[in-house]
Amino acid sequence: MTTTLFIQSLLAGLTNGFVYGLIGLGISVIFRGTRVVNAMQGDFALVAGIAACLALDWLGLPIAVGFLGGIIAGALVGWAVELLLIRPTQARGGSEDSLLLVTLGGAFAVSAAALLYFGRDSRSMPGFGGNRSLDVFDAAIRVHAVWLIAIAIVVVVALRLFYQRTPLGQSILAASIDPEGAATIGINVPRMRTLTFMLGGAVGGVAGVLVSPLITIHYEMGLLLTLKGFTAAIVGGLGNPFGAIMGGLLLGLVEAMAIVFVSSGYKDVIAMSLLILIMIAMPNGLLGRRGRVGG
Amino acid sequence: MTRADAPLTTTPSSALLEVRAVSKSFGGLHVLRAVDLTIARGSITGLIGPNGAGKSTLFNIVSGFLAPDRGDVIYHGRPIGRISVVDRSRAGLVRTFQTPQVFGHLTVRENLVAGCHKLGRSGMLADMLGLPLARRELAQMQRRAALTAARFSLEPVADVLAGKLPVGQQRLLELARAAIADPELLCLDEPSSGLNGDEVDQLARMLTQLNEEGMTVFLVSHDMELMGCAATVNVLCFGETIASGPFAAVKADPRVREAYLGA
Amino acid sequence: MSVEPIRAPAAALLTHRHLRRLVGATLALAGIAIWAALPQVLSRGTVDLLVFTALYAIAGLGVAFLLGQCGIVSLAQSVFYGIGAYATAYCCTTWGWPWYAALVIGMVISGATALVIGWPVLRLSGYFLALATLALATIGHVLFLEWDWLTGGTLGVGGIPQISLFGLVLNTPQKFYYFIWPLAALIYWLLYNLLHSRSGYAMRAMRDAPAAALVLGIDVHKLKVRIFVLSALLGSLAGSLFANYVSFVSVDSFGVDRAVSFLLLAVVGGAQSVIGPLFGAAFVTLVPNLLSRVGDVHPLLFAGVLVVAVIFLPQGMGGLVTTLWRRLWPPAPPAPGSGT
Repeated sequence: MTTTLFIQSLLAGLTNGFVYGLIGLGISVIFRGTRVVNAMQGDFALVAGIAACLALDWLGLPIAVGFLGGIIAGALVGWAVELLLIRPTQARGGSEDSLLLVTLGGAFAVSAAALLYFGRDSRSMPGFGGNRSLDVFDAAIRVHAVWLIAIAIVVVVALRLFYQRTPLGQSILAASIDPEGAATIGINVPRMRTLTFMLGGAVGGVAGVLVSPLITIHYEMGLLLTLKGFTAAIVGGLGNPFGAIMGGLLLGLVEAMAIVFVSSGYKDVIAMSLLILIMIAMPNGLLGRRGRVGG
Repeated sequence: MTRADAPLTTTPSSALLEVRAVSKSFGGLHVLRAVDLTIARGSITGLIGPNGAGKSTLFNIVSGFLAPDRGDVIYHGRPIGRISVVDRSRAGLVRTFQTPQVFGHLTVRENLVAGCHKLGRSGMLADMLGLPLARRELAQMQRRAALTAARFSLEPVADVLAGKLPVGQQRLLELARAAIADPELLCLDEPSSGLNGDEVDQLARMLTQLNEEGMTVFLVSHDMELMGCAATVNVLCFGETIASGPFAAVKADPRVREAYLGA
Repeated sequence: MSVEPIRAPAAALLTHRHLRRLVGATLALAGIAIWAALPQVLSRGTVDLLVFTALYAIAGLGVAFLLGQCGIVSLAQSVFYGIGAYATAYCCTTWGWPWYAALVIGMVISGATALVIGWPVLRLSGYFLALATLALATIGHVLFLEWDWLTGGTLGVGGIPQISLFGLVLNTPQKFYYFIWPLAALIYWLLYNLLHSRSGYAMRAMRDAPAAALVLGIDVHKLKVRIFVLSALLGSLAGSLFANYVSFVSVDSFGVDRAVSFLLLAVVGGAQSVIGPLFGAAFVTLVPNLLSRVGDVHPLLFAGVLVVAVIFLPQGMGGLVTTLWRRLWPPAPPAPGSGT
């Protein structure tokens, strides 16, 4: 095996890692704000990818504007999901399982709608910098991938500031941690939950528009993205947005190594086994705070 | 036994369960510090203490829902600090919960049948095939459930889904279900909360009656009225036992008064 | 309590109970007669769908049992369905084994797999457990694709011999129908027994209040693993029979979407009633066929139905039928004066 190939795999793993991290970030944002594990996070990305693709193809908009449209589409789907799926389920006293089933159903609905509309073909989409690449130690990385990494980092930092510095971010956290207490100090708890889903949808949208130029859009991509994102979020400790990115990077690199040393066919097997192992052995994640004070 | 006037609770041979120097902390917070406690065979033993004294933690350690950091729990002379809830149950140590945990989608009768689980031994295969052994066991469990329902005055609601019962009856059902398999040690966590005066009286009568039949009862409660039926009461305060003895003596103890009134 | 219980006339009670039993028996007899007559009047294609209904009902019953009696969402049934199918495909074509031997081998492998995987995984609960089973389904699908020496990969395995029973080869949907439905009925009977036994009470106790079940000496984890294994055995059985029936298997049949349709049939049918999954299986097999002319609409419909069923119909269709039946023929007339 050559060094170039190795570096090439590392770069691919790094890029994928940021994608998984962004999906995990969205799952983490929603879990933090609502205690719901959203099984359609990957489908937010799919919707955003499709929306951006349509905006670019049909309307001929500039790439950045098309991407923005995709992100808005993601946020809107997040809003719709909270309103149409989550709220009625919780109003009827649905359990964790019901919530998961409902979001899974939503995920299949998005995927099935994409199948109906787009068919079984994949669609490619232009990215930042066209198909140009940069050289890194003889290995190539697409300009778009560099943009992806940069934007992902910006999103993480922005989210951190949002939760720590803005009143809205604080209100969202308060509404999640102690809904009754938050309501008594005048926080509109249902609105905070809706906003959380919109925020999660937008983060999913960012992931979607950024990943689509690299992997092409396909109706079945949502579920696998969700599972990978969930792995990232779990590795980092669910509810810890910064951890999700680290988890994503770890997963991306593990997959890259799996491709180099085992076979590309087994990368999903290794990623899913990692997910199961982490959940069993370290339910708080690698970066999670351990030890909970009992009541 | 060296002294004739030694209280029964301190003689090892009569202890059914002993908590020996148990400590437990959560994230640096010491909830229990070297707590000792003895439950004499055939007694009703009480545990009281102000909020946050560590009662629930101690109760969970006795019943197997938490493991002690240090120290051990001795049951029948054997250390059981690390054995599972299921194994404790099979050894005759059964508990109830602060918020009653009935099987909500089962009727009262079915709850009681489920309570007889450890009396039977039919396997899943025998159950699937409906073998005579399985049927006979189930019939026995159902008969026992009917007797217990009558005894605990649950007959009128025997076919009601347990989840639909008011809290008072759910508590009674939980007690009946815990007692149905004749446990040796019955541990009750705040059994009177949410009950009205009549129901507390009924509970106290049931406990005394079960105790007279030989069941040892361990009672954690705020309820001073209910503590009246306990032979020995232990007082826990900030993770330490500050008094132990007959209820009247404990009540008079200045440290206990301080813990309750001064806190 | 009332001083003088008012007695309902004994005769009225008797007639009511007799009537209820009579109606039940008549319905059952009529059902059996219709069942026996169906293959004679329906087209070959429709009988084929009814065979699939039974196959899916068997596999889906495992999922429904986990969901309804233990509160476990399993999306991994496609794995065991696949193991059964490939065991039959491989043993029957490569080694020329008889169908029943291959079926048993499949069930042994499935049961062992379920035991080894279930033991650690079933310590998880809620979201984590459901996502772990989804991850298992993904792993299963990839392995079925990658191990092409065993599974033929995307090309699949063909030429699987049909079931031969005492010299009679089940080579038409009609013949298979008369074989598979009594088998499904037998499995229903077994599970019905299980549900109304000591183990059944333990399961439902565990579902409603796991901590209280532990206290009563019910080993919750062991029980979950056992039911997971039982569920896997049913999946494997259905998979093996599927392979014999269609005589060709490929990886497309064992994807995540198959696991989803097994779960869907449990949810739609109603996991808590024993009969529910049957309705669910009919729904999952018949609807795509009815909609086949419109294109790939059924996945969207399935997803929508899953969502609506979870939100609005937690008891599923089976629950609806049971409620209706109870309303029409209450088990016992409300005893006068018993309301307190």
